[in-house]
Amino acid sequence: MEGLTSTSGEIVAREIGVTFQDNAGRDVQAITNINMAIKKGEFISLLGPSGCGKTTLLRCVADLQEPTEGELWVEGMTPKEARLQHKFGFVFQQPVLFDWRTVKKNVELPLEMMYQTKKQRGDRAEKMLELVGLSAFKDHYPRQLSGGMQQRVNIARAFGIKPDILLMDEPFSALDEFTKEKLHEDLLRIWRKTNKTVLFVTHNIQEAVFLSDRICVLSPHPGRLSAIVDVDLPRPRTLEMKESEHFNELVKIVKNSFEGGSFS
Amino acid sequence: MKSTLQWLARQTWFQVLFWTLVLIGAWEAGATLVEMTKRMPANIMPHLYQILQAAFSGQEVSGGMTATQVVLKASAATLGRAFLGFLLGALAGYMLAFLMKLSGVIEKMIFPYLMLIQLIPVLGLAPIILAITGNINSSRLVIAAILSFYPVATNTLAGFKSVEKDKYDLMATYAAKKRNMFLKVLIPQSIPYFFTGLKVAAPMAVTASILVDTLQGDGGLGCILSQALKHAMSIYVFWLIVFFSAFVGIFSSILIHWVELLVTPGVVVNLLRKLSIGKEAGAYGRKNEKVQKKKKYPSSVV
Repeated sequence: MEGLTSTSGEIVAREIGVTFQDNAGRDVQAITNINMAIKKGEFISLLGPSGCGKTTLLRCVADLQEPTEGELWVEGMTPKEARLQHKFGFVFQQPVLFDWRTVKKNVELPLEMMYQTKKQRGDRAEKMLELVGLSAFKDHYPRQLSGGMQQRVNIARAFGIKPDILLMDEPFSALDEFTKEKLHEDLLRIWRKTNKTVLFVTHNIQEAVFLSDRICVLSPHPGRLSAIVDVDLPRPRTLEMKESEHFNELVKIVKNSFEGGSFS
Repeated sequence: MKSTLQWLARQTWFQVLFWTLVLIGAWEAGATLVEMTKRMPANIMPHLYQILQAAFSGQEVSGGMTATQVVLKASAATLGRAFLGFLLGALAGYMLAFLMKLSGVIEKMIFPYLMLIQLIPVLGLAPIILAITGNINSSRLVIAAILSFYPVATNTLAGFKSVEKDKYDLMATYAAKKRNMFLKVLIPQSIPYFFTGLKVAAPMAVTASILVDTLQGDGGLGCILSQALKHAMSIYVFWLIVFFSAFVGIFSSILIHWVELLVTPGVVVNLLRKLSIGKEAGAYGRKNEKVQKKKKYPSSVV
């Protein structure tokens, strides 16, 4: 746990807890007593089964909901201040594209609200689309793209606002294995190039091990941080590493770190 | 043989032709049956050729005008007002939906009572409106507006509500102001729903205006229609109006559909692209595009 309880870092959580009321009016603890400190440029995964509150934690960081206990700091600011200053980009599980906008215009959407000139927006969007390999599709509409391509647009859009931090909520869980592997490589490539801090939510152990520097393992009922696993695979990561013994060892370590039964 | 039939059945023009012929056949069969009963067949179901004959004959039926002239003159008054009322109702409907989206309080206050307007039969509402406005032209307009208003308001509101939570969250992460939420998300997403409302409203506005006409003898379509029914003029004028208003109702919906296609992003562009297939520039552009995709982006296109 050392290093995660420190107070300095890009994202710092201190004793974060979220309690909500269910339909019967009973208090339900979604997450409790979460402490973590994420360094600048780190790739961190929040890993856990459904119901462990990993998405809730991510939404708290993004100021899409408020923690009922504890303190959260994003770049030394409250999540709300960070949000208003466009400090982070958020990638949802669904691509959340706008049907009536072309691919390029979708990427431009957040830039329109940041008062950039039309030329700046256009250049930025085209650069981002080039980065995710979709330049040829910039004038297409989202419905004309496959699920994997739509998610690429989503990622291009999140990177487009030049955020310091990228918050990703199971962005690849709806994609097939082939598409997913391709996007893993692309994400790591872009991440290395842009040097962002990434907080990545997933329920896929292999995915977490392949992508992350460190994995925060969350256990459910109530959602709590049960372990932090350092992933010491060398960078840049390659798909062959997934076959290596060390990779499988790490997967095993992560699996065994869940409290209250194994993770299946 | 079998595959030719299957191919035909898939063609839109064939489907249209087929059903038109079926309808004509059914109508003529009915007309022949009615004719055999000898009970005023022209009132119940005349032959189509009789109606067409009435439409194109130069015979004067009223005030020195032929049947077609009578119908067209009457429809100018009725449909003109119906159209204006429809526009006003649609505008008001959209604005009310907007207000209801803007404020939950307004929605709770207004929405349940909106339905009441819809529940009052036009026949009950029309004399009251006529008494209030005192003028058949204004009544047509108001009734058309009232009837258009409801489907447009409810459909548009449904459109606003169809915006997913993810989109709100996404816009929140961009620190989007409420104005931008409306301009960039809510309004564009509500447009198809708005058009659905318009398509429902347009034929209703036409029907309602004709109905209002029957209340006062001022030369609207409905007025002529009831006169013809009472044999004050040729019964075929009645049939002309029936067919004419049916066509206007259907055409109004089709017209709105076209306008919708025009404003839907991408549709016109795609259509132009399709039309230019075979033409030099179009074919060249398309072929080239495909090659380019393959060459430039070999592995990343998933």
